[in-house]
Amino acid sequence: MTPDAQTLAWHCPGPAQQANVMRSRTEGALDQDRIWDDLMHRANQGDGAAFLQFLTQVTPRLRGLIRVRGRGLPPDLHEDILQEVLLAIHLKRGTWDGTGPVRFWLYAVARHKVVDAFRRRGRRLHLPLDDVAEMLAADPGPAPLAARDADRMLGMIDARSAALVRAVRLEGQSTEDAAARIGVTPGTARVVLHRAMKRLAELAERMK
Amino acid sequence: MTHRPSTEALIRSLAASPPPPPLTARGLAGPVVAALTISLGVFLWLIGLRANLGQALADPAILAKSLLPLALAVPALVLALRSARPGRVVRPGLLILPAAAALALFLARGVQVPSGQILPELLGHSAAACLLSITALSAPATLAGLIVLRRGASLRPARTGALIGMAAAAGTAAGYALHCTEDSPLFFTTWYGLAILIGTGIGALAGQRLLRW
Repeated sequence: MTPDAQTLAWHCPGPAQQANVMRSRTEGALDQDRIWDDLMHRANQGDGAAFLQFLTQVTPRLRGLIRVRGRGLPPDLHEDILQEVLLAIHLKRGTWDGTGPVRFWLYAVARHKVVDAFRRRGRRLHLPLDDVAEMLAADPGPAPLAARDADRMLGMIDARSAALVRAVRLEGQSTEDAAARIGVTPGTARVVLHRAMKRLAELAERMK
Repeated sequence: MTHRPSTEALIRSLAASPPPPPLTARGLAGPVVAALTISLGVFLWLIGLRANLGQALADPAILAKSLLPLALAVPALVLALRSARPGRVVRPGLLILPAAAALALFLARGVQVPSGQILPELLGHSAAACLLSITALSAPATLAGLIVLRRGASLRPARTGALIGMAAAAGTAAGYALHCTEDSPLFFTTWYGLAILIGTGIGALAGQRLLRW
């Protein structure tokens, strides 16, 4: 992995770069909305291939959501619940009228079915809509099967920060060595490390 | 592995299925209006319109008897449909306007007439028939709406049912007004209002059972 200017900029974002990062994230979400809306629109007009693509794209997100919320239940059950959600998406897709992004519709359906599925299995579940929105909007990555699973947690932050956390906090290298290895100054590395730890703490808190 | 098919297989079979029919405004309004037309049509044909209907409707106070419930029925129907679409926000603001107008009419009449006349006017002589007719005549429309909305995906079935019950009862009241000759706002805002509330409650109870998914 060779560091390049862009990824370094992501590591020590000044105000301007931060704005860039924010903008590219928003644009990414808009692109995704456009794609999903278009797929669902075509799907509802009978385009099976578009629906196949839509379901294939949303399934990893849904699976991650169910895993996070269903820790303690056997994984076999997770897949059952996922299938219930997918079935509901098919049966109820005629209720999306194209007024808003299909993502909102999807969140609402997924949340409803997941809560319902866990409730019917005799498990109380608190699932605020914001959590669902955040889970589904998050970059598709390895789903956090367990909050304690460090590798999976690190998969949820950007690769450079993860590498730094792994080197310094897990492998016990000095910050200076780790900084030199990825080609940033020790000061920058400390800032990145600090931010990454904060982000990880937030993630762990949310997954409780 | 269990008996369940793989998720990939499920996705493939779902993608190969024809899309379910879309839930549309026309698809909901059509059956509801048809049911209203039939039940009100039969009722008015059997029991008759009020005498000199055209002349009476020239009086804005009498026209309001039909227009106010209609002004409640239409947004209630719109909101019922919206509430069956996941992710859409349902704001009840549209329903407050006709309700507030009815309350204003009630109060205006209340200060207008001598106090001894308020109670007789309010009670009228056909309150029971009014309540019973509007409630009974709205049932087919409520049922028609609920059947259509079963294809919807309401996240709050009781609320969706309440809205469709309100739309049906208010629409029925608007038609019933063409028969009813009690024109005091004290009477019709009270009893039409109560009948609409009963219809709303019935819709909520039915929705809670019928609109789960």
